[in-house]
Amino acid sequence: MSTQTADRLKLIWPPVLIAVLFLSAWQLLVVVRDIKPYLLPAPSLIAENFFGDIALMWQTALYTGTTAFLGLVFGTIVGLVMALLAQRFIVVNNLVTPLAAGLAAVPIIALTPILNNMFSITSRTPRVLVTAIIVLFPIFVNVTRGLIQVQPVQLELMRSMNAQPRTVLRALRIPNAIPFFFTAMKVAAPLAVIAALVAEYFGGPQQGLGSRIAGSAANTAYGRAWAYVVAAIITGLMFYLIVVAIERWTTPWTGRTRSA
Amino acid sequence: MTDTAIADPQTSADGASVGAARSRSFARRARNGGISLLWALAGVGLVIVMWELVKLLGNFIPLPLNTSDMTMPHVWTMFAAMGEPEVRGSENTVLDAVIAATFRSLLLAFGGFLIGVAVGLLLAVIMQRFLFAERGLLPFVIASQTVPLIALAPLIVGIGNQIEIGPIKWTTTYSVMFIAAYLAFFPLSVGALRGLQAPTPTSQELMRSYAATPNQTVRKLRFPSSIPYIVPALKVSAAASVVGTVVAEISTGVRGGIGRLLIEYARQITSQPAKVYVAVFGAIALGLVVAALVTALDVYLTRNLPKEKSA
Amino acid sequence: MSTATTEHAVHADGIWKIFNEGQPNEVTALQDVNLTVESGEFISLIGPSGCGKSTLLRVIADLTDATRGDMRVAGHTPPEARQQQLYGMAFQQAALFDWRSVRRNVELPLELQGWDKAKRKARALELLDMVQLADFAEHRPWELSGGMQQRVAIARSLSVDPAILLMDEPFGALDEMTRERMQNELLRIRKETGKSIVFVTHSIPEAVYLSDRVVVMSPRPGRITHIIEVPLGSERDEDTREADTFFDAVTAVREALRGRVGGSDARAKVGEV
Repeated sequence: MSTQTADRLKLIWPPVLIAVLFLSAWQLLVVVRDIKPYLLPAPSLIAENFFGDIALMWQTALYTGTTAFLGLVFGTIVGLVMALLAQRFIVVNNLVTPLAAGLAAVPIIALTPILNNMFSITSRTPRVLVTAIIVLFPIFVNVTRGLIQVQPVQLELMRSMNAQPRTVLRALRIPNAIPFFFTAMKVAAPLAVIAALVAEYFGGPQQGLGSRIAGSAANTAYGRAWAYVVAAIITGLMFYLIVVAIERWTTPWTGRTRSA
Repeated sequence: MTDTAIADPQTSADGASVGAARSRSFARRARNGGISLLWALAGVGLVIVMWELVKLLGNFIPLPLNTSDMTMPHVWTMFAAMGEPEVRGSENTVLDAVIAATFRSLLLAFGGFLIGVAVGLLLAVIMQRFLFAERGLLPFVIASQTVPLIALAPLIVGIGNQIEIGPIKWTTTYSVMFIAAYLAFFPLSVGALRGLQAPTPTSQELMRSYAATPNQTVRKLRFPSSIPYIVPALKVSAAASVVGTVVAEISTGVRGGIGRLLIEYARQITSQPAKVYVAVFGAIALGLVVAALVTALDVYLTRNLPKEKSA
Repeated sequence: MSTATTEHAVHADGIWKIFNEGQPNEVTALQDVNLTVESGEFISLIGPSGCGKSTLLRVIADLTDATRGDMRVAGHTPPEARQQQLYGMAFQQAALFDWRSVRRNVELPLELQGWDKAKRKARALELLDMVQLADFAEHRPWELSGGMQQRVAIARSLSVDPAILLMDEPFGALDEMTRERMQNELLRIRKETGKSIVFVTHSIPEAVYLSDRVVVMSPRPGRITHIIEVPLGSERDEDTREADTFFDAVTAVREALRGRVGGSDARAKVGEV
């Protein structure tokens, strides 16, 4: 086996081992102590519910995933535009950055009931909007930082080459900001899934993961509720992994030691 | 000519004026903080202006959103609602109720935050000390955040209410704190781990040359050098515990907190549209108060460290 | 485009640079600096921290402006010289862009000047050939050693074929052996292209080995104290480093830095150490 494969295995086996031990212990605990499903369902019960109705799982995940995706795209675009403006106009930066810091600390999801009223509660719009707002701020803060924090020597270099501000933006600031963008996306993508899910708790169409989790719990179908939870986890993971894949594909230079 | 004693002409050369320089720098930082605050208020003002503008515009142009006074009350209506009685005939005003609820949620959030920080730190220390622990646990620590625990809240409450350890009975309140702690521990454990691993090989070799035990190395070297990493993580954890508390309150309907008020007032939106906005302000205030507390802690912890310069 | 041989490469006349003028933390970085660099000449600026050598270079490069005085670069004002790309600059950090290949890093100034793709590529490869890195054209900066990255940076500074090279301690971050190799490279490039070079350094042997004249500066306030001719001729190689004339010149510069009398002292304050 090549050393590369050996290295990869070395990284994989500890978490796999712990996962197997954890699931086995869980299953054992439920069986031996005869724990009722409303308390803690066995992994086997969850698996049964999950694979038993996989089409429904997929549909439900797709619904919430679509909301999350729309919110993510919308929030990212607005965040990027704001970051470009903030880099160019210091007034924008001064206005928005304290707001962003403040809003990062508050439960933005609490805006959902208000949005449900302003926009039709029967549509996806309020949920997409609240997701977009939640995603907006990590993107804005990180991309702004990436655009502004270029090395002074690089700025001097551009100046010595008589580069205009727009050129400096295109040739230096934006490429510099790309790793920052992906750092933000890796946080924002799973966050979008969670936001879309929790937004469903405030009423509206009930086909999503959040509504179904709460609905199943209310109907004491706990095995099913946990199955939806598994679907939610997978959806969040998928979003994250897609971002990582895009990152690897577009920026092969990140992660390496930077040149002088 | 000796060129070793040449100091940067911009800084003070003698020790006596270092104290003066420090208090000057504190004054400068306080002034910068004040300026930031003014800008923040300007930003809030901008939001208010935009709100009213949209309402005004909605009177003339059909917009995709409902701008009527019922769904989008005027800003002054929101403030007026604060003074109204909470329930017909009650002595409490809406503002009283919101403040009380916000305070209650603050306690829960803070409790969850402390627990989350403690667990996060403990995990970080273990993961730094034992490579197997890092390899085995870190993926799960990261994966734990893809579990939408706040969506699981009703389930957590269900499980929690069955637990009795001796005379202590688990209440829904504890479930809320648990959820807050769960959201708070992750940023802290990741940040603290990075910080504990931050010391350069040279510093580590130095400690080794002193025959320092791993314990001493953690206390004297790793922990102090992790402060710059822990501080931003504390801010994220604090925000996360606030979000966790409020959302857990919302999805479990537990009484006393601001989450519950949000739902109650949202239900009354057709009769008293402005009340829910007061509750939203309460939730925002909750987040800001926690952020302010953590910032104060930040200033205290980093008081002796060199200030970072950005480009 | 080379300058006409009758023009000076750099002509500094009564240059002052004062930071925070009028305030309690006022600093005179440059005091009444007068210097003429002939076309095709290699001069070094040397001195301890705070003597103004980097500041002077920055005034020449129009990266900062002089408080008083007149500066001419290839007969033009510094802003004109910068806009017309009459000089190329190399810094202590190579400052290559990680997201561009080595070749595209060298192409950067040409891109900004609007050259078309094919011409840029050809020129970049030509320059990389000159610094003997043609094989690494499609590599990424981080794949190269520090010395190699600096060579790329130097190639980049030559791309618009400026008459003048301004270099701010470009070899400062390299080890001694690599440093000496780079110095030979630089001399070779200079011989092939005939450019004027203004070179800032901390290292006395480096200044002597490379330059026709060494400009010794002193801090607080920053000023030129001595200008020392280096009588080593135009053919220099490894043997030169071990010649008596080399050591004599090094000694002369060292003595000048210590403030002892030796060489001409244009504007030194009496008794200053």
